[in-house]
Amino acid sequence: MVFQTSHLLIHFRKETYGMTEYHSLQDLQDLSASTEKEIWEIVQLADMEESGRTAEQSYQKMLEMYQAMKEADASYDGSLRSASKRAGGDGQKLQEYNEQQKNICGPFVGKIMEKAIKMGESNACMRRIVAAPTAGSCGILPAVLLSYAEDYRTSEEEMVHALYIAAGIGKVIAENAFIAGAAGGCQAEIGSASAMAAAALAWLQGGDSETILNAAALSLKNMLGLTCDPVAGLVEVPCIKRNAYGAVNAAVSAQLSLSGIHSAISPDDVIDSMRRTGNQMPACLKETSEGGLAVSDSAAEYLK
Amino acid sequence: MDLFDIVGPVMVGPSSSHTAGAVRIGYVAGKLLGEDVRKANILLYGSFLATGNGHGTKKALAAGLLGMHPDDYRIAESLQIAESQGIEITFGEAKLEEAHPNTVVLQLWGITGKSIEVQASSIGGSRINIDKIDGISTNFSGDHPTLIVHNLDQPGHVSEVTSMLAHKGVNIATMQLYRSAKGQKAVMVLECDQNIPEDGISWLEHVEGVLKVTYFAGI
Repeated sequence: MVFQTSHLLIHFRKETYGMTEYHSLQDLQDLSASTEKEIWEIVQLADMEESGRTAEQSYQKMLEMYQAMKEADASYDGSLRSASKRAGGDGQKLQEYNEQQKNICGPFVGKIMEKAIKMGESNACMRRIVAAPTAGSCGILPAVLLSYAEDYRTSEEEMVHALYIAAGIGKVIAENAFIAGAAGGCQAEIGSASAMAAAALAWLQGGDSETILNAAALSLKNMLGLTCDPVAGLVEVPCIKRNAYGAVNAAVSAQLSLSGIHSAISPDDVIDSMRRTGNQMPACLKETSEGGLAVSDSAAEYLK
Repeated sequence: MDLFDIVGPVMVGPSSSHTAGAVRIGYVAGKLLGEDVRKANILLYGSFLATGNGHGTKKALAAGLLGMHPDDYRIAESLQIAESQGIEITFGEAKLEEAHPNTVVLQLWGITGKSIEVQASSIGGSRINIDKIDGISTNFSGDHPTLIVHNLDQPGHVSEVTSMLAHKGVNIATMQLYRSAKGQKAVMVLECDQNIPEDGISWLEHVEGVLKVTYFAGI
């Protein structure tokens, strides 16, 4: 049964412009300065205003995300393989290598790499993960945060606050650019996740709001132009390994920022550049698997 | 966008659009049917058809039909679970024109004989859009409590529905009206901010000129 339909769409916007509303990273910094609150508090207050959640409900939900990340990390199973039968087991290899004390990247970065790969593989193997901001980039934020929590024995509350910072950065990127590979290439997924993690890490290490946002800028800037060309359209190649690079990039960016190195391009301009770069990126490099790695000879071999 | 769409949702991998979104589509379609599914014919289109196997899209759609949410560990075994419950699920290709790349058509039959055809797409992240119900264009996300009223195209039905909602203290978030032709069948889709009480729904079902009322309480 098919009807000819007339179409009338009435969309009532119920946005109210609240005290802690932010649409840019500069907004976050300004609000932080004018209210003398930390960025995580601004992000939480804005969530309460926007969603109607109480402070406790919002905190509880973020805590659930943190706990789900921890569970996902702890339940990694190196014997699992993905639907293609090709992905899985690399996290185990990294763990064994790290345990041999041969780690040339240092223990913290070594641990980050291991956790990132493990989470990416868990995702490919249909395990439970936390999209942050996407499933394909789900390894970066937990890799950085959980490694930090293990090494520095930070409280659960601090980790939840760090997650608010990451989420606030991601929300601004989603609003002003994109967080989906199909829309903006891999820079939008791994790039955004890396910027979120860099900001969270900079805060955990005592960075002020400018240092936090500068870390995000440095991190995203290094990911600009990254294309989304997954082999056979699967969230496996190159996605899983890129989680390790994205996580390490976050650590490098946080350290650069904390040492006082300044991004010549402002954080919001970096996001704006990501949007323009993504819009100029051809469709064959935006998750269609019609270009890049996806059409290489090796890619044809991958599923055989 | 909700903050917990940035950090979150908690979901079973590997893809927010092809797995989590697909679970949500199956879930909403099952709820729109309004009873347990006995038989489902699932027709995939575009990227869902091309890469669905590797992303577990079929398992995800079936899991949603069984009432599972995107974070349910049983998604990987949903087809076996359906089989063990005697639910017949078949898959095919949807022949569509100009649809979103991640689109699926679900033809569903329930245990008491109700049936429905839902066309839906996974539009990014794990967000979805219900594009058509029984061939009639719709446009809603399933995030909110959603009321779908089929009625005759006569004066007053919109007012009856909105008055009932006002009376029950339910705020309308979005509202869409469609009709097949002047004076023929019409459909209204209302997304609401609060749940609609059961007596409001059953009152509506008895209003003259109202042909069918479907209510979905939101994911």
